This record gives sequence, C-alpha cells and structure tokens, in this order.
Amino acid sequence: MIDAKKKMALAMVMLAAPTLGLRPAAAQIVPGQLARETAKDYREAARYPASSHALKKGDADPIRAKRLPTRQTRRGPDEAEPALSVWAAKVSFEKGQPVDLYATLDNRGKAVAPADLAGEIVDGNGGIVALVAYRDDGQGPDRKAGDRVYSARWKPEGLEAPQAASYMVRVKARLADGDLRQAAGGFLYSDPSAHLTGRYRDALRDGNLVISAEVDVAEAGRFHLAGTLYAASGDPVGFAQNALNLEPGKHWIDLAYYGLMFHERQAAGPYRLGALALSTTTRMPNALNDLVEDAYVTRSYRVQQMRADSFERPELIEAAKRLEMDAERAEREAREPQKQ
Amino acid sequence: MRFRRLTVPLLAALAFAAVAAQAGAQPCLIFVHGKQTDTNTYTSYTSARNYWVNGSNDFIKTATKNFATSYYVVGYNGTRPYWEPQAAGEVANEIVNATNGGADGGGHRCAKTYAQGGTFWVVAHSMGGTIMDYILGNNDSTDPNFNANGPYDQVAQRLSLAIAVGGAHRGSQGADAVCLNSNVLCSFIAIFIQSCDDATYWLRSSDDVQVRTFSNAPAKTVYLTGGYEAIFGASACLNGEDDGVVQYASIFACNGSATASYDNTNVCNNSNKQEASGFRNLDAAHENHSDERDASDSDTRKAIPGGNWTCSGSPCAPNTTVATMTTAQYITLLY
Repeated sequence: MIDAKKKMALAMVMLAAPTLGLRPAAAQIVPGQLARETAKDYREAARYPASSHALKKGDADPIRAKRLPTRQTRRGPDEAEPALSVWAAKVSFEKGQPVDLYATLDNRGKAVAPADLAGEIVDGNGGIVALVAYRDDGQGPDRKAGDRVYSARWKPEGLEAPQAASYMVRVKARLADGDLRQAAGGFLYSDPSAHLTGRYRDALRDGNLVISAEVDVAEAGRFHLAGTLYAASGDPVGFAQNALNLEPGKHWIDLAYYGLMFHERQAAGPYRLGALALSTTTRMPNALNDLVEDAYVTRSYRVQQMRADSFERPELIEAAKRLEMDAERAEREAREPQKQ
Repeated sequence: MRFRRLTVPLLAALAFAAVAAQAGAQPCLIFVHGKQTDTNTYTSYTSARNYWVNGSNDFIKTATKNFATSYYVVGYNGTRPYWEPQAAGEVANEIVNATNGGADGGGHRCAKTYAQGGTFWVVAHSMGGTIMDYILGNNDSTDPNFNANGPYDQVAQRLSLAIAVGGAHRGSQGADAVCLNSNVLCSFIAIFIQSCDDATYWLRSSDDVQVRTFSNAPAKTVYLTGGYEAIFGASACLNGEDDGVVQYASIFACNGSATASYDNTNVCNNSNKQEASGFRNLDAAHENHSDERDASDSDTRKAIPGGNWTCSGSPCAPNTTVATMTTAQYITLLY
C-alpha cells in the first residue's frame, strides 16, 4: 500500500516536473491568457468574411507590401563589412519585360565601390541561364551614374518557361582589397494566362460594395484578384479578394467590400481602387501580373447605404468558444493546482 | 493482502482516469517537423518521432507534460518545396486525420475528435512553420492557392492555433549560403540543409520564393518563438540574432527585408509582420536550431517586443531574462 502511494506521488511529481523550469519570481505566463487572447482576436476577425476586411488608418497597403521587392543583404565572415545588398526591380516580371537588377556595397551606411560586380542568373534546376555585369554608368537600367547603386539588365529570350518560374540571382562583388562578398537574390518570371482589360464597374449588392474588373483569359485556369480600397481622403478603407476558375474569353471578377468597413471608417464614396493584383494560380509558382495602381474610382455612395452588421464568421466564432473553454480550464487549474 | 490486491488496481484505474480526463480537456498537440536532408521522416514514423528526441531528452514528452496531453506526430517529405503535395499536402491530410481521431504512425491519437469538441494546437519547427503559413494562408476559396493539394480549409477550421519554433517564415540565410555554394564557413547548417535541393531553393530569403508571395494572412494565429544561440561558423552567415540556421527576421515573420538584422530588443513587434494579421510574438530562448526541437538545452529565455511574458502585471521589457527552461517546457505553460 505504501509502495503504491509512493508510486502515485512520484507519478504526480513527474507529471508536473516539466513545468517547474526556473524563472524570476516577477516574470510569469498568465494561465489561460494565450487561449483567451487568441479567442478575442478571432471574435474580432469574425466580423468580416474571409474574403474582405477593413484596413486601419496608417496601415500599409497589404497588396503593395507583397509586391515591393526587398533587399537581400549579406556581410562577410563574422558579419564583416561591407555588406552586399541585391534586389530586383520587381518581385515578378511579365514575359517580354527586361529584368532589371540592382546591387550596392555598403560599409555601415556608407556606399563603397567594388573592384568588380557580376551576377549569375540560375534556374530552379541549378542551371546558369545568363551572366550579367553590374554597372554604375547611368546607362540603361542604371538611374544615375556614380551613385554607387549598380544596375544590370537581362533580356530573357527564347525561354521555354512554364507559366511562371523562379530564378535565383547569385551576385559576387570583388572588393578593392581582393576580398569577396556574395549574396543571393531572385525574381519570378511570369507568363500569366489572363490580363485586366481596363474595364471596371461598381454596384451595391446586399449592402456591400462590389467592384468588378474585366479580365481577358487566354488559357483556362484559376485566377486570383485582390484589391485595396481607399477613401477620397487617401485613407485606406479595406481589402477584398476573389478567385475563380475561368475558360478562355472575357469575364468579370467581382471584389466584394463588406459593408461594415465603411461604417467603421466613416468613409463615404467615391472610393479609389488603389492597388489591384491579378495572378494566375493554376499551379505553383503562381504567375503574377504587374500591379495596377489607381485602377478605378467608384461612383458616390453614402455610408448608410452599406450594411452595418457583423458577418459572424462561424468557424472563427466556434474556434473562439473552444479556446475560451481552454482558457477557463487553464485558469481553474492554476487556481486549484492540487486538483490537477 | 486482499486489501492491497484491490487497492493497487483501483489506484491505477483512478490514475488512468485522471490522466484521461486531463488529456480530454487539454488541446491535442500536433507536431510538425522541419527541413530534412532525406525522405526518412516521410517514410518512417520512427524517424519523424525521433526528430524531436536527443538521447534522453524528448521535446514531445516534455511538451505534453509527460504524455498527459494527447498528441500526434506528422511526418512529411522535408526535401520537397513547402508548397508541394508531399509537404503541405501531406501535413494538411495528417492534421485532418488527427482531428478525426485517426492515429499517427506510432498509434497515438488525439483524445477527442473535432466533432467531439476537441481542440488542436500545432507545434511546428523550422520549415514546418513555412508549411503552416502556406496551409493557413490558403484555406478560403478566395485565397490564391485554396486547397491546392490538401484539405487546407478543414485544417484552418479545426486548429485553434499554431506555435512556430524557429520557423523559416521568411526563408533562411542558411539556405542562401548553401545555394550560393558559399557554405564552407557555415558547416553546421549542413545538418539541416545539406545542398541546394528543391526544399532549400524554396527556403531562400528572396521574394520570389517567399510563402507570403503565395498566400494570405493565416486563418488561425501563428505564435512565434525561437532561439538566439549562435552556432560557430554557421551564425557568421546570418544577419542579426539567429539560431544558427534561421535569422530573427524570419523566425519572427517580420515585414520588410528577410535579411534585416534584429535582436531581442528590436525584433519586429506584432504590428510589423509579413502579414497584416495572424502572427504574434511569444519569446526567445538561448537555444540553437537543433536544441529548439529536442529539449536538450534548458537555458535562458528572454522577453521580446509584443511577447507574452508578464512582469509585475505588465508585459516584460524586451530582453528581460524571464526564465530558464527549454522551449518544450515553455509550451507547457501556454495551455
């Protein structure tokens, strides 16, 4: 009997042992807090459908943010300066467009000149498809001579590329002292199966603002359209997206901006479609069309014409309920640890 | 003697019942491993399970409070790009299997199904985080790659949340180094990234391969934690703090450049993520990329901006030492 009790006690200690990590008395994780705060976030998000949500004043445009090329920066061994940064003019280039590439060498904020700067463009199989030389001569893609932003241009020709392909750019910079810096960038090369025709229209439907964009489909596939909406003041209002399987020909794709966002932003129309992104998503990698800026301005609308009710997305409400039960259990266990 | 014969089984039954009740009330933990240099975790449950083990240290045993919480171990092909059927597709199918009460390769199953009211948390390491971003960001019929190769919608519906440990949300500069053929100085990286294979190619830090280029904000929150213990040689190839394979800008899913330098004081907060919503910081640990997933290094934990440690009722200041424990132990505090 005593042995069994000891075994039980030992088992209980072992069950609790993993939680007995050392930490300062003042620092703690509040029991149940993670579940409760997650549930709160879900209830907030549930007010909108998955296809549309409001943007707050000062929010970055989520579509532009994804189409803005970022720099890949790499230093020497043990983070030795200077750092080589490389980037492409766009995240994705449409078929037929020249690919403009850039590079800088930077020593703690001060641009330095390399002895030599060259790149290899490599396909997904590791094959080198082109060699490019970076120049700072103000010619071609280089915007200003001598600014130490080095530029190169590749004009893809005769590529038997699929709908879209990723290319890596391996850049080597030889420093004046002979040392080497290397960095890897990249870009997508896209041959989208549909293009925006430039025709748009808008309407109110079920208290939502629906902006439709016409697309010309050359090859059947799946197409994704996303757009951000702005008020006349320039402040962002919201985001909407849609995806459809379409056959060749001209079609309209609707973007439905959920009515509640206009009430929350107190934004009356007309509204401006600030950023519009079409892509062919039949397969990975997706083929991205060029971003269209300020594509369309709607007619005038009053906020009162829009629906003001919460969407109450069921799967998020259900997830929130379950998390709240998790939180209650964790809080209860923390209050009554002896019953665990 | 008779009393003892009756009591021991009774106590054992009570203990079992207590554990079962606890398991039923707590979230089922679903473990998704990271990048692999071979297909073993896809073809062998033992390999997938051992991903989380180092000698007597066992991440899953610790995170599940000595197996008191039910769990399920996912195994996928970690040599394939994160978006492929044997990666995202396999993970999605296995997660749905777990939520239906199906067993993993080792016979472990969640205590409650989704239909019975169960809750499910994913714990993903390294490339597992990238895969979860892709699944949870393509769960709606209006998303770009909706249900591309698996039931992403059911995954998103049934998961409560995900915890990404050392997640490669913005790729890895280790992958850049390997694909540049300049990884001589980054030798330890080879444990996770041996060559510029297809998975590695798609884990680089450039925009053309980033998961955010091909998905939306995650439908369920992805919580972020990771290590800042440098690995000699490897960390020299990574900007800012890192765990020897993945840099902070990626572990904490920051917006802007994936190669920006961050540390515990200035890593991106919850308003500066790769998506406008769906990513939240937890904390950082003095663990390397390997320690993170095998609970072998009980070490210092630090608060980070927007993290979840509380000091005297307020969020702890970034870089405050908040605890000494493994990430697996830390996870036990979260549920």
